[in-house]
Amino acid sequence: MAGVYIYSDRMDLAAELVGFVKENQNSAQVLCFTQAEADQLTSIGADKVCYLQGDSPLVENYGQAIAEYLKQANAELFVVGATARGRDLAARVAGYLDCAMVSDASSLSLESGKLRAERMMYGGAVVQSEEITGLCVVTVAAGKYQPVTGSASVETVQVTADNRVKLLETAPIVKEGVDLRQACNVVCVGLGLEKEEDLKIARDLAAAIDAELGCTRGVAEERHWLPVEQYIGISGAIIKPQLYISMGVSGQVQHVFGVRDAKVIVAIDSNEKAPIFRSADFGIVGDMYEIVPLLTQAIKG
Amino acid sequence: MSKIIACYKWVADEADIKINPDLTVDLKKAKGKISDYDRNAIEAAVQAAGSLGGKAVSLTFGNASAKQSLKDALSRGPEEGYWINAEEAATADGSITAKALAAAINKIGDYSLIICAEGASDTYARQTAPRIGAALNLPVITSVVQMTFNGNSLTAVRKLEDSTETVQTELPAVVAILPEANEPTIPGLKAVMAAGKKPVTEYTAADLGIDFTPKNQVTAVKGYVMNRKNIIFNEGSTADQVKALAAALRKECVL
Ligand SMILES: Cc1cc2nc3c(=O)[nH]c(=O)nc-3n(C[C@H](O)[C@H](O)[C@H](O)COP(=O)(O)OP(=O)(O)OC[C@H]3O[C@@H](n4cnc5c(N)ncnc54)[C@H](O)[C@@H]3O)c2cc1C
Ligand SMILES: Nc1ncnc2c1ncn2[C@@H]1O[C@H](COP(=O)(O)O)[C@@H](O)[C@H]1O
Repeated sequence: MAGVYIYSDRMDLAAELVGFVKENQNSAQVLCFTQAEADQLTSIGADKVCYLQGDSPLVENYGQAIAEYLKQANAELFVVGATARGRDLAARVAGYLDCAMVSDASSLSLESGKLRAERMMYGGAVVQSEEITGLCVVTVAAGKYQPVTGSASVETVQVTADNRVKLLETAPIVKEGVDLRQACNVVCVGLGLEKEEDLKIARDLAAAIDAELGCTRGVAEERHWLPVEQYIGISGAIIKPQLYISMGVSGQVQHVFGVRDAKVIVAIDSNEKAPIFRSADFGIVGDMYEIVPLLTQAIKG
Repeated sequence: MSKIIACYKWVADEADIKINPDLTVDLKKAKGKISDYDRNAIEAAVQAAGSLGGKAVSLTFGNASAKQSLKDALSRGPEEGYWINAEEAATADGSITAKALAAAINKIGDYSLIICAEGASDTYARQTAPRIGAALNLPVITSVVQMTFNGNSLTAVRKLEDSTETVQTELPAVVAILPEANEPTIPGLKAVMAAGKKPVTEYTAADLGIDFTPKNQVTAVKGYVMNRKNIIFNEGSTADQVKALAAALRKECVL
Protein backbone atom coordinates (compact mmCIF):
# COMPACT_ATOMS: atom_id res chain seq x y z
CA MET A 1 0.00 0.00 0.00
CA ALA A 2 1.42 3.39 -0.99
CA GLY A 3 1.41 6.21 1.52
CA VAL A 4 3.49 7.14 4.50
CA TYR A 5 5.22 4.62 6.75
CA ILE A 6 6.12 5.43 10.33
CA TYR A 7 8.37 3.97 12.97
CA SER A 8 9.50 4.99 16.41
CA ASP A 9 10.92 2.99 19.28
CA ARG A 10 8.97 5.43 21.48
CA MET A 11 5.28 4.68 21.27
CA ASP A 12 4.24 8.26 22.18
CA LEU A 13 6.41 9.61 19.37
CA ALA A 14 4.98 7.09 16.90
CA ALA A 15 1.55 8.45 17.84
CA GLU A 16 2.67 12.05 17.19
CA LEU A 17 4.03 11.05 13.79
CA VAL A 18 0.71 9.44 12.87
CA GLY A 19 -0.81 12.78 13.90
CA PHE A 20 1.43 14.55 11.37
CA VAL A 21 0.47 12.19 8.55
CA LYS A 22 -3.23 12.49 9.36
CA GLU A 23 -2.97 16.30 9.42
CA ASN A 24 -2.07 15.96 5.77
CA GLN A 25 -4.79 13.39 5.05
CA ASN A 26 -2.33 10.76 3.94
CA SER A 27 -2.57 7.09 4.73
CA ALA A 28 -0.38 6.13 7.67
CA GLN A 29 1.12 2.70 8.17
CA VAL A 30 2.98 2.27 11.41
CA LEU A 31 5.72 -0.34 11.76
CA CYS A 32 6.64 -2.22 14.91
CA PHE A 33 8.66 -5.26 15.94
CA THR A 34 6.87 -6.83 18.91
CA GLN A 35 3.34 -8.01 19.63
CA ALA A 36 3.20 -5.71 22.65
CA GLU A 37 4.01 -2.68 20.49
CA ALA A 38 1.46 -3.80 17.90
CA ASP A 39 -1.22 -3.94 20.59
CA GLN A 40 -0.41 -0.43 21.76
CA LEU A 41 -0.30 1.04 18.30
CA THR A 42 -3.75 -0.10 17.13
CA SER A 43 -5.46 2.88 18.79
CA ILE A 44 -3.33 5.81 17.54
CA GLY A 45 -5.23 6.53 14.35
CA ALA A 46 -3.05 4.71 11.84
CA ASP A 47 -4.59 3.02 8.82
CA LYS A 48 -2.62 -0.12 9.49
CA VAL A 49 -0.16 -1.51 11.99
CA CYS A 50 2.54 -3.61 10.33
CA TYR A 51 4.08 -6.02 12.79
CA LEU A 52 7.40 -7.03 11.29
CA GLN A 53 8.25 -10.32 12.90
CA GLY A 54 11.84 -11.52 13.03
CA ASP A 55 14.38 -12.85 15.48
CA SER A 56 16.50 -9.84 16.48
CA PRO A 57 16.15 -7.84 19.68
CA LEU A 58 17.84 -4.89 17.91
CA VAL A 59 15.54 -3.00 15.54
CA GLU A 60 18.59 -1.54 13.78
CA ASN A 61 19.18 -5.02 12.43
CA TYR A 62 16.05 -4.69 10.29
CA GLY A 63 17.41 -1.82 8.18
CA GLN A 64 17.71 -3.81 5.00
CA ALA A 65 14.48 -5.70 5.64
CA ILE A 66 12.56 -2.45 6.05
CA ALA A 67 14.15 -1.02 2.92
CA GLU A 68 12.88 -4.00 0.94
CA TYR A 69 9.47 -3.84 2.58
CA LEU A 70 9.07 -0.12 1.78
CA LYS A 71 10.14 -0.63 -1.80
CA GLN A 72 7.65 -3.43 -2.28
CA ALA A 73 4.91 -1.40 -0.63
CA ASN A 74 5.63 1.53 -2.94
CA ALA A 75 5.99 3.83 0.07
CA GLU A 76 6.15 7.58 -0.54
CA LEU A 77 7.79 8.55 2.72
CA PHE A 78 9.26 6.88 5.80
CA VAL A 79 8.98 9.03 8.92
CA VAL A 80 11.01 7.90 11.91
CA GLY A 81 11.10 9.23 15.46
CA ALA A 82 14.40 11.02 16.06
CA THR A 83 15.85 8.97 18.91
CA ALA A 84 19.33 7.44 18.86
CA ARG A 85 17.92 4.13 17.64
CA GLY A 86 15.49 5.81 15.26
CA ARG A 87 18.16 7.92 13.57
CA ASP A 88 20.40 4.88 13.14
CA LEU A 89 17.64 2.71 11.68
CA ALA A 90 16.38 5.52 9.42
CA ALA A 91 19.84 6.15 7.96
CA ARG A 92 20.37 2.44 7.29
CA VAL A 93 17.04 2.24 5.48
CA ALA A 94 17.94 5.36 3.45
CA GLY A 95 21.32 3.78 2.74
CA TYR A 96 19.89 0.48 1.54
CA LEU A 97 17.29 2.32 -0.56
CA ASP A 98 19.94 4.83 -1.64
CA CYS A 99 17.35 7.55 -1.22
CA ALA A 100 17.27 11.04 0.27
CA MET A 101 17.06 11.57 3.99
CA VAL A 102 16.25 14.62 6.09
CA SER A 103 17.60 14.29 9.63
CA ASP A 104 15.71 15.98 12.44
CA ALA A 105 13.36 18.00 10.25
CA SER A 106 12.04 21.08 12.02
CA SER A 107 9.18 21.46 9.55
CA LEU A 108 7.71 19.19 6.93
CA SER A 109 5.09 19.19 4.21
CA LEU A 110 4.21 16.59 1.63
CA GLU A 111 2.32 17.75 -1.44
CA SER A 112 1.76 15.83 -4.64
CA GLY A 113 4.79 13.67 -4.17
CA LYS A 114 7.12 16.54 -3.28
CA LEU A 115 8.51 16.81 0.22
CA ARG A 116 9.50 20.19 1.56
CA ALA A 117 11.49 20.20 4.76
CA GLU A 118 13.46 22.57 6.91
CA ARG A 119 16.30 21.63 9.19
CA MET A 120 18.92 23.30 11.33
CA MET A 121 22.54 23.52 10.24
CA TYR A 122 25.62 24.68 12.14
CA GLY A 123 24.16 23.84 15.54
CA GLY A 124 21.10 26.02 14.92
CA ALA A 125 22.74 29.10 13.40
CA VAL A 126 21.28 28.40 9.99
CA VAL A 127 17.94 27.05 8.72
CA GLN A 128 18.13 25.09 5.48
CA SER A 129 15.10 24.43 3.29
CA GLU A 130 15.16 21.33 1.13
CA GLU A 131 12.97 19.80 -1.52
CA ILE A 132 12.89 16.13 -2.34
CA THR A 133 11.06 14.24 -5.06
CA GLY A 134 10.67 10.52 -4.73
CA LEU A 135 10.93 8.23 -1.77
CA CYS A 136 12.53 9.87 1.23
CA VAL A 137 13.35 9.04 4.84
CA VAL A 138 12.82 11.72 7.49
CA THR A 139 13.49 11.79 11.22
CA VAL A 140 11.39 14.01 13.47
CA ALA A 141 11.89 14.78 17.15
CA ALA A 142 9.16 14.55 19.78
CA GLY A 143 6.83 17.41 20.59
CA LYS A 144 6.07 18.68 17.09
CA TYR A 145 2.73 17.07 16.25
CA GLN A 146 -0.49 16.26 18.05
CA PRO A 147 -1.44 12.59 18.35
CA VAL A 148 -4.86 11.46 17.17
CA THR A 149 -6.95 8.36 17.92
CA GLY A 150 -8.63 5.73 15.79
CA SER A 151 -8.36 2.00 15.45
CA ALA A 152 -6.33 -0.04 13.02
CA SER A 153 -5.85 -3.69 12.25
CA VAL A 154 -2.54 -5.46 12.59
CA GLU A 155 -0.85 -7.15 9.69
CA THR A 156 1.97 -9.52 10.56
CA VAL A 157 4.82 -9.86 8.10
CA GLN A 158 7.84 -12.15 8.44
CA VAL A 159 11.14 -10.32 8.00
CA THR A 160 14.77 -11.37 8.10
CA ALA A 161 17.13 -9.59 10.45
CA ASP A 162 20.77 -8.92 9.76
CA ASN A 163 22.14 -10.59 12.86
CA ARG A 164 25.78 -9.69 12.41
CA VAL A 165 25.52 -7.37 15.43
CA LYS A 166 24.52 -9.33 18.52
CA LEU A 167 23.06 -7.91 21.68
CA LEU A 168 24.96 -9.25 24.70
CA GLU A 169 23.54 -7.15 27.46
CA THR A 170 21.25 -4.25 28.07
CA ALA A 171 20.97 -2.12 31.20
CA PRO A 172 18.44 0.62 31.77
CA ILE A 173 19.82 4.05 32.59
CA VAL A 174 18.19 5.07 35.82
CA LYS A 175 16.87 8.60 35.37
CA GLU A 176 18.09 10.62 38.29
CA GLY A 177 17.49 14.01 36.78
CA VAL A 178 14.44 16.21 36.54
CA ASP A 179 12.41 16.98 33.46
CA LEU A 180 13.79 20.40 32.56
CA ARG A 181 11.23 20.81 29.81
CA GLN A 182 8.56 21.39 32.45
CA ALA A 183 10.69 23.72 34.60
CA CYS A 184 9.52 27.29 35.13
CA ASN A 185 13.01 28.56 36.00
CA VAL A 186 16.39 27.06 35.16
CA VAL A 187 19.85 27.82 36.53
CA CYS A 188 22.50 26.51 34.15
CA VAL A 189 26.14 25.79 34.90
CA GLY A 190 28.89 25.44 32.32
CA LEU A 191 32.48 24.34 32.26
CA GLY A 192 33.43 27.62 33.94
CA LEU A 193 32.63 25.80 37.17
CA GLU A 194 35.91 24.62 38.63
CA LYS A 195 34.93 21.80 40.95
CA GLU A 196 31.93 19.59 41.48
CA GLU A 197 31.48 20.93 45.04
CA ASP A 198 31.03 24.39 43.57
CA LEU A 199 27.67 23.28 42.22
CA LYS A 200 26.53 24.50 45.60
CA ILE A 201 26.51 28.14 44.51
CA ALA A 202 24.25 27.21 41.62
CA ARG A 203 22.03 25.06 43.84
CA ASP A 204 21.67 27.91 46.33
CA LEU A 205 20.58 30.30 43.61
CA ALA A 206 18.24 27.66 42.19
CA ALA A 207 16.66 27.17 45.62
CA ALA A 208 16.17 30.93 46.01
CA ILE A 209 14.25 31.25 42.74
CA ASP A 210 12.63 27.82 42.77
CA ALA A 211 14.57 26.72 39.71
CA GLU A 212 15.82 23.41 38.40
CA LEU A 213 19.50 22.94 37.69
CA GLY A 214 20.65 22.49 34.10
CA CYS A 215 24.10 22.36 32.50
CA THR A 216 26.05 22.22 29.27
CA ARG A 217 26.93 18.96 27.56
CA GLY A 218 30.46 18.78 28.93
CA VAL A 219 29.34 19.16 32.55
CA ALA A 220 27.13 16.09 32.20
CA GLU A 221 28.87 13.95 29.58
CA GLU A 222 32.54 14.59 30.30
CA ARG A 223 32.64 15.57 33.96
CA HIS A 224 29.57 13.58 35.03
CA TRP A 225 28.67 16.23 37.61
CA LEU A 226 24.98 16.23 36.70
CA PRO A 227 22.74 13.57 35.13
CA VAL A 228 22.74 13.56 31.32
CA GLU A 229 19.03 14.41 31.14
CA GLN A 230 20.01 17.74 32.62
CA TYR A 231 22.11 19.06 29.80
CA ILE A 232 20.54 21.59 27.52
CA GLY A 233 21.00 22.02 23.79
CA ILE A 234 20.61 20.58 20.34
CA SER A 235 21.59 17.13 21.53
CA GLY A 236 20.09 17.52 24.99
CA ALA A 237 16.98 19.07 26.50
CA ILE A 238 15.10 21.81 24.65
CA ILE A 239 13.53 23.98 27.33
CA LYS A 240 11.18 26.95 27.57
CA PRO A 241 11.39 28.42 31.06
CA GLN A 242 10.30 31.88 32.16
CA LEU A 243 13.80 32.56 33.44
CA TYR A 244 17.11 31.00 32.48
CA ILE A 245 20.28 32.10 34.29
CA SER A 246 23.60 30.79 33.03
CA MET A 247 26.94 30.90 34.79
CA GLY A 248 30.26 29.93 33.25
CA VAL A 249 28.51 29.02 29.99
CA SER A 250 30.16 30.42 26.87
CA GLY A 251 26.93 30.17 24.91
CA GLN A 252 27.92 28.30 21.78
CA VAL A 253 25.10 27.94 19.32
CA GLN A 254 24.51 24.23 20.07
CA HIS A 255 23.76 25.02 23.68
CA VAL A 256 21.75 28.20 23.09
CA PHE A 257 19.58 26.25 20.65
CA GLY A 258 18.03 24.63 23.70
CA VAL A 259 16.97 27.89 25.40
CA ARG A 260 15.66 29.89 22.48
CA ASP A 261 12.15 29.86 23.83
CA ALA A 262 13.07 31.10 27.30
CA LYS A 263 11.23 34.30 28.22
CA VAL A 264 14.22 35.94 29.89
CA ILE A 265 17.86 34.91 29.48
CA VAL A 266 20.48 36.04 31.99
CA ALA A 267 24.22 35.43 31.51
CA ILE A 268 27.03 35.58 34.03
CA ASP A 269 30.44 34.98 32.50
CA SER A 270 33.94 36.32 33.04
CA ASN A 271 34.61 36.74 29.33
CA GLU A 272 32.89 39.81 27.97
CA LYS A 273 33.29 38.43 24.45
CA ALA A 274 31.51 35.16 25.28
CA PRO A 275 28.72 34.62 22.72
CA ILE A 276 26.22 34.03 25.54
CA PHE A 277 25.95 37.81 26.02
CA ARG A 278 24.66 38.19 22.47
CA SER A 279 21.91 35.70 23.31
CA ALA A 280 21.03 37.23 26.66
CA ASP A 281 18.55 39.84 27.84
CA PHE A 282 20.63 40.73 30.86
CA GLY A 283 24.23 40.04 31.71
CA ILE A 284 26.99 40.69 34.17
CA VAL A 285 30.60 40.28 33.13
CA GLY A 286 32.65 38.90 35.99
CA ASP A 287 33.51 36.02 38.27
CA MET A 288 30.53 33.79 38.93
CA TYR A 289 32.02 32.83 42.29
CA GLU A 290 31.54 36.41 43.38
CA ILE A 291 28.37 37.32 41.48
CA VAL A 292 26.18 34.28 42.02
CA PRO A 293 26.20 34.32 45.86
CA LEU A 294 25.49 38.06 45.75
CA LEU A 295 22.59 37.48 43.41
CA THR A 296 21.19 34.76 45.66
CA GLN A 297 21.38 37.22 48.56
CA ALA A 298 19.80 40.05 46.59
CA ILE A 299 16.90 37.81 45.59
CA LYS A 300 16.33 36.45 49.07
CA GLY A 301 16.26 40.14 50.09
CA MET B 1 48.60 -4.19 7.63
CA SER B 2 44.87 -3.90 8.10
CA LYS B 3 43.60 -0.30 8.34
CA ILE B 4 41.39 1.49 10.78
CA ILE B 5 39.84 4.37 8.92
CA ALA B 6 38.79 7.53 10.75
CA CYS B 7 36.37 9.66 8.72
CA TYR B 8 36.51 13.36 9.43
CA LYS B 9 34.95 16.38 7.81
CA TRP B 10 36.54 19.80 7.27
CA VAL B 11 33.79 22.26 8.14
CA ALA B 12 33.30 26.00 8.54
CA ASP B 13 33.49 27.05 12.18
CA GLU B 14 29.94 27.92 13.19
CA ALA B 15 31.26 30.49 15.67
CA ASP B 16 32.48 32.62 12.73
CA ILE B 17 29.25 32.57 10.74
CA LYS B 18 27.88 36.04 10.12
CA ILE B 19 24.15 36.52 9.72
CA ASN B 20 23.32 39.66 7.75
CA PRO B 21 20.32 41.83 8.69
CA ASP B 22 18.37 40.32 5.77
CA LEU B 23 19.14 36.86 7.24
CA THR B 24 21.47 35.89 4.44
CA VAL B 25 24.37 33.80 5.68
CA ASP B 26 27.96 34.93 5.26
CA LEU B 27 30.48 32.11 5.51
CA LYS B 28 33.36 34.05 3.94
CA LYS B 29 35.07 34.87 7.21
CA ALA B 30 34.50 31.46 8.73
CA LYS B 31 37.69 29.54 9.40
CA GLY B 32 37.81 25.86 8.66
CA LYS B 33 38.18 23.21 11.35
CA ILE B 34 38.06 19.48 11.73
CA SER B 35 34.48 18.95 12.87
CA ASP B 36 34.58 18.91 16.69
CA TYR B 37 33.55 15.34 17.34
CA ASP B 38 35.62 14.02 14.44
CA ARG B 39 38.67 14.65 16.60
CA ASN B 40 37.22 11.96 18.85
CA ALA B 41 36.81 9.68 15.82
CA ILE B 42 40.47 10.16 14.92
CA GLU B 43 41.52 9.53 18.53
CA ALA B 44 39.37 6.38 18.62
CA ALA B 45 41.06 5.09 15.46
CA VAL B 46 44.52 5.70 16.91
CA GLN B 47 43.55 3.96 20.16
CA ALA B 48 41.92 1.07 18.29
CA ALA B 49 45.06 0.60 16.19
CA GLY B 50 46.94 0.28 19.47
CA SER B 51 44.75 -2.43 20.94
CA LEU B 52 43.51 -4.20 17.80
CA GLY B 53 46.72 -3.89 15.82
CA GLY B 54 46.80 -2.35 12.38
CA LYS B 55 47.26 1.10 11.07
CA ALA B 56 45.13 4.16 11.77
CA VAL B 57 44.46 6.26 8.68
CA SER B 58 42.31 9.32 8.10
CA LEU B 59 39.82 9.91 5.30
CA THR B 60 38.05 13.08 4.29
CA PHE B 61 35.76 14.03 1.43
CA GLY B 62 36.12 17.73 0.81
CA ASN B 63 36.86 20.34 -1.80
CA ALA B 64 40.17 22.16 -2.30
CA SER B 65 39.86 23.95 1.06
CA ALA B 66 40.11 20.59 2.84
CA LYS B 67 43.79 20.42 1.88
CA GLN B 68 44.55 22.40 5.04
CA SER B 69 43.00 19.65 7.12
CA LEU B 70 45.42 16.92 6.10
CA LYS B 71 48.34 17.91 8.29
CA ASP B 72 46.01 18.77 11.16
CA ALA B 73 44.41 15.32 10.99
CA LEU B 74 47.73 13.51 10.67
CA SER B 75 49.21 15.40 13.61
CA ARG B 76 46.56 13.68 15.72
CA GLY B 77 48.12 10.30 15.14
CA PRO B 78 46.99 8.52 11.96
CA GLU B 79 49.86 7.17 9.87
CA GLU B 80 48.42 7.98 6.45
CA GLY B 81 45.88 10.40 5.07
CA TYR B 82 43.33 9.93 2.28
CA TRP B 83 41.59 12.87 0.67
CA ILE B 84 38.78 12.77 -1.84
CA ASN B 85 39.46 16.14 -3.43
CA ALA B 86 36.20 17.00 -5.17
CA GLU B 87 34.32 20.26 -5.64
CA GLU B 88 31.17 18.11 -5.48
CA ALA B 89 31.70 17.81 -1.72
CA ALA B 90 30.34 21.34 -1.30
CA THR B 91 26.88 20.29 -2.53
CA ALA B 92 26.92 16.72 -1.31
CA ASP B 93 23.97 15.37 0.67
CA GLY B 94 24.00 12.36 3.00
CA SER B 95 23.61 9.87 0.17
CA ILE B 96 26.52 11.23 -1.86
CA THR B 97 28.78 11.68 1.16
CA ALA B 98 28.34 8.07 2.22
CA LYS B 99 28.76 6.73 -1.29
CA ALA B 100 31.88 8.80 -1.89
CA LEU B 101 33.39 7.64 1.39
CA ALA B 102 32.37 4.03 0.71
CA ALA B 103 33.93 4.14 -2.77
CA ALA B 104 37.16 5.54 -1.32
CA ILE B 105 37.15 2.92 1.44
CA ASN B 106 36.91 0.23 -1.23
CA LYS B 107 39.92 1.76 -2.96
CA ILE B 108 41.89 1.98 0.28
CA GLY B 109 41.10 -1.71 0.80
CA ASP B 110 42.21 -4.06 3.56
CA TYR B 111 40.38 -2.37 6.42
CA SER B 112 39.13 -3.76 9.70
CA LEU B 113 37.18 -0.83 11.10
CA ILE B 114 35.66 2.42 9.88
CA ILE B 115 35.08 5.07 12.53
CA CYS B 116 32.82 8.10 12.18
CA ALA B 117 31.77 10.55 14.84
CA GLU B 118 28.25 10.86 16.16
CA GLY B 119 27.54 13.78 13.85
CA ALA B 120 29.29 16.53 11.93
CA SER B 121 29.09 20.00 13.45
CA ASP B 122 27.63 21.54 10.28
CA THR B 123 24.98 18.97 9.35
CA TYR B 124 24.64 17.09 12.63
CA ALA B 125 22.68 14.63 10.51
CA ARG B 126 24.00 11.55 12.26
CA GLN B 127 23.45 9.46 9.15
CA THR B 128 26.84 8.91 7.56
CA ALA B 129 28.01 5.84 9.51
CA PRO B 130 24.83 3.77 9.00
CA ARG B 131 24.78 4.82 5.34
CA ILE B 132 28.41 3.76 4.82
CA GLY B 133 27.45 0.46 6.44
CA ALA B 134 24.61 0.05 3.97
CA ALA B 135 26.75 1.04 0.99
CA LEU B 136 29.42 -1.52 1.91
CA ASN B 137 26.93 -3.94 3.46
CA LEU B 138 28.90 -4.04 6.71
CA PRO B 139 27.64 -4.35 10.29
CA VAL B 140 27.13 -0.97 11.97
CA ILE B 141 27.21 0.08 15.61
CA THR B 142 26.25 3.65 16.52
CA SER B 143 26.27 5.65 19.78
CA VAL B 144 29.44 3.88 20.88
CA VAL B 145 31.18 4.98 24.08
CA GLN B 146 33.59 2.08 24.48
CA MET B 147 35.24 -0.52 22.26
CA THR B 148 37.17 -3.64 23.19
CA PHE B 149 38.73 -6.06 20.74
CA ASN B 150 39.22 -9.75 21.01
CA GLY B 151 40.87 -11.24 17.95
CA ASN B 152 38.59 -10.30 15.11
CA SER B 153 35.65 -9.51 17.31
CA LEU B 154 34.54 -6.08 18.52
CA THR B 155 32.55 -5.62 21.70
CA ALA B 156 31.05 -2.15 22.00
CA VAL B 157 29.11 -0.34 24.66
CA ARG B 158 26.39 1.92 23.25
CA LYS B 159 24.72 4.72 25.09
CA LEU B 160 21.12 5.38 24.12
CA GLU B 161 18.60 7.71 25.75
CA ASP B 162 17.45 5.31 28.40
CA SER B 163 19.66 2.28 28.26
CA THR B 164 23.18 1.17 27.67
CA GLU B 165 23.76 -1.83 25.46
CA THR B 166 26.69 -4.13 25.01
CA VAL B 167 26.84 -5.52 21.51
CA GLN B 168 29.30 -7.63 19.60
CA THR B 169 30.21 -8.08 15.96
CA GLU B 170 32.93 -9.50 13.77
CA LEU B 171 35.18 -7.08 11.91
CA PRO B 172 35.17 -5.39 9.48
CA ALA B 173 32.49 -3.05 10.77
CA VAL B 174 31.46 0.59 10.84
CA VAL B 175 31.04 2.46 14.11
CA ALA B 176 29.84 5.92 15.08
CA ILE B 177 31.30 7.04 18.36
CA LEU B 178 29.99 9.56 20.85
CA PRO B 179 32.34 12.35 21.95
CA GLU B 180 32.26 10.88 25.46
CA ALA B 181 34.21 7.87 24.17
CA ASN B 182 37.59 9.52 24.62
CA GLU B 183 39.51 12.72 25.17
CA PRO B 184 41.37 13.69 21.99
CA THR B 185 45.04 14.44 22.55
CA ILE B 186 46.19 17.91 21.60
CA PRO B 187 49.05 17.42 19.15
CA GLY B 188 52.45 18.59 20.34
CA LEU B 189 55.08 20.29 18.19
CA LYS B 190 56.77 16.98 17.37
CA ALA B 191 53.50 15.46 16.17
CA VAL B 192 52.83 18.54 14.03
CA MET B 193 56.30 18.32 12.47
CA ALA B 194 55.96 14.58 11.82
CA ALA B 195 52.54 15.07 10.21
CA GLY B 196 54.06 16.89 7.24
CA LYS B 197 56.08 13.79 6.34
CA LYS B 198 53.21 11.31 6.44
CA PRO B 199 51.93 10.01 3.10
CA VAL B 200 48.70 11.38 1.66
CA THR B 201 46.73 9.72 -1.14
CA GLU B 202 44.44 11.92 -3.17
CA TYR B 203 41.39 10.72 -5.11
CA THR B 204 39.40 12.78 -7.56
CA ALA B 205 35.65 12.68 -8.12
CA ALA B 206 36.23 10.76 -11.35
CA ASP B 207 38.25 8.09 -9.51
CA LEU B 208 35.21 7.09 -7.49
CA GLY B 209 32.75 6.33 -10.28
CA ILE B 210 29.64 7.51 -8.49
CA ASP B 211 26.84 9.90 -9.45
CA PHE B 212 27.24 13.19 -7.60
CA THR B 213 23.74 14.58 -8.24
CA PRO B 214 22.27 15.40 -4.82
CA LYS B 215 18.85 13.97 -3.96
CA ASN B 216 18.20 16.73 -1.43
CA GLN B 217 17.72 19.99 -3.34
CA VAL B 218 18.60 22.93 -1.12
CA THR B 219 16.08 25.68 -1.91
CA ALA B 220 16.94 28.26 0.75
CA VAL B 221 19.52 28.95 3.44
CA LYS B 222 18.63 31.46 6.10
CA GLY B 223 20.32 32.64 9.26
CA TYR B 224 18.60 32.32 12.61
CA VAL B 225 18.64 35.36 14.86
CA MET B 226 17.29 35.69 18.34
CA ASN B 227 16.23 39.15 19.38
CA ARG B 228 17.19 39.78 22.98
CA LYS B 229 17.69 42.90 25.03
CA ASN B 230 21.48 42.46 25.39
CA ILE B 231 21.69 44.70 28.46
CA ILE B 232 24.96 44.40 30.40
CA PHE B 233 25.04 45.81 33.92
CA ASN B 234 28.50 47.28 34.26
CA GLU B 235 28.02 50.41 36.39
CA GLY B 236 29.46 50.60 39.90
CA SER B 237 30.61 47.73 42.07
CA THR B 238 29.71 44.09 41.50
CA ALA B 239 27.11 44.46 44.27
CA ASP B 240 25.53 47.38 42.39
CA GLN B 241 25.46 45.35 39.18
CA VAL B 242 23.78 42.47 40.96
CA LYS B 243 21.19 44.82 42.47
CA ALA B 244 20.45 46.28 39.05
CA LEU B 245 20.03 42.75 37.67
CA ALA B 246 17.67 41.72 40.46
CA ALA B 247 15.63 44.89 39.90
CA ALA B 248 15.42 44.20 36.17
CA LEU B 249 14.23 40.64 36.82
CA ARG B 250 11.55 41.92 39.20
CA LYS B 251 10.42 44.36 36.55
CA GLU B 252 10.14 41.49 34.06
CA CYS B 253 8.02 39.65 36.66
CA VAL B 254 10.24 36.57 36.50
CA LEU B 255 11.28 36.60 40.15
C1 LIG C 1 27.40 18.58 17.03
C2 LIG C 1 27.51 19.24 18.36
C3 LIG C 1 26.45 19.17 19.26
C4 LIG C 1 26.54 19.79 20.50
N1 LIG C 1 25.46 19.75 21.35
C5 LIG C 1 25.52 20.41 22.53
C6 LIG C 1 24.40 20.47 23.41
O1 LIG C 1 23.34 19.91 23.15
N2 LIG C 1 24.53 21.14 24.57
C7 LIG C 1 25.69 21.80 24.92
O2 LIG C 1 25.71 22.42 26.00
N3 LIG C 1 26.75 21.77 24.12
C8 LIG C 1 26.70 21.09 22.94
N4 LIG C 1 27.81 21.07 22.12
C9 LIG C 1 29.06 21.65 22.62
C10 LIG C 1 29.10 23.16 22.42
O3 LIG C 1 29.57 23.44 21.13
C11 LIG C 1 30.05 23.82 23.41
O4 LIG C 1 31.31 23.22 23.30
C12 LIG C 1 29.60 23.69 24.86
O5 LIG C 1 28.25 24.09 24.99
C13 LIG C 1 30.47 24.56 25.72
O6 LIG C 1 30.15 24.34 27.08
P1 LIG C 1 30.47 25.42 28.16
O7 LIG C 1 29.86 26.73 27.78
O8 LIG C 1 30.06 24.83 29.46
O9 LIG C 1 32.05 25.49 28.19
P2 LIG C 1 33.09 26.57 27.59
O10 LIG C 1 32.80 26.86 26.17
O11 LIG C 1 34.40 26.03 27.96
O12 LIG C 1 32.77 27.88 28.40
C14 LIG C 1 33.09 28.08 29.73
C15 LIG C 1 32.78 29.53 30.06
O13 LIG C 1 33.01 29.75 31.44
C16 LIG C 1 33.57 31.05 31.61
N5 LIG C 1 34.21 31.08 32.91
C17 LIG C 1 35.33 30.44 33.33
N6 LIG C 1 35.57 30.71 34.63
C18 LIG C 1 34.58 31.55 35.03
C19 LIG C 1 34.27 32.20 36.27
N7 LIG C 1 35.02 32.02 37.36
N8 LIG C 1 33.19 33.00 36.31
C20 LIG C 1 32.41 33.20 35.22
N9 LIG C 1 32.64 32.60 34.04
C21 LIG C 1 33.72 31.79 33.94
C22 LIG C 1 34.48 31.21 30.40
O14 LIG C 1 34.68 32.59 30.14
C23 LIG C 1 33.66 30.53 29.30
O15 LIG C 1 32.83 31.46 28.61
C24 LIG C 1 27.73 20.46 20.87
C25 LIG C 1 28.79 20.51 19.97
C26 LIG C 1 28.70 19.92 18.73
C27 LIG C 1 29.85 20.02 17.79
N1 LIG D 1 32.67 14.83 3.96
C1 LIG D 1 33.04 13.96 4.91
N2 LIG D 1 34.30 13.43 4.90
C2 LIG D 1 34.66 12.53 5.85
N3 LIG D 1 33.87 12.11 6.85
C3 LIG D 1 32.61 12.60 6.90
C4 LIG D 1 32.13 13.54 5.93
N4 LIG D 1 30.84 13.83 6.26
C5 LIG D 1 30.55 13.12 7.35
N5 LIG D 1 31.60 12.37 7.76
C6 LIG D 1 31.69 11.48 8.93
O1 LIG D 1 30.38 11.12 9.34
C7 LIG D 1 30.07 11.69 10.60
C8 LIG D 1 28.61 12.06 10.69
O2 LIG D 1 28.28 13.07 9.75
P1 LIG D 1 26.76 13.49 9.52
O3 LIG D 1 26.02 12.26 9.18
O4 LIG D 1 26.81 14.48 8.40
O5 LIG D 1 26.30 14.11 10.81
C9 LIG D 1 31.05 12.83 10.76
O6 LIG D 1 31.23 13.17 12.11
C10 LIG D 1 32.29 12.23 10.12
O7 LIG D 1 32.90 11.29 10.98
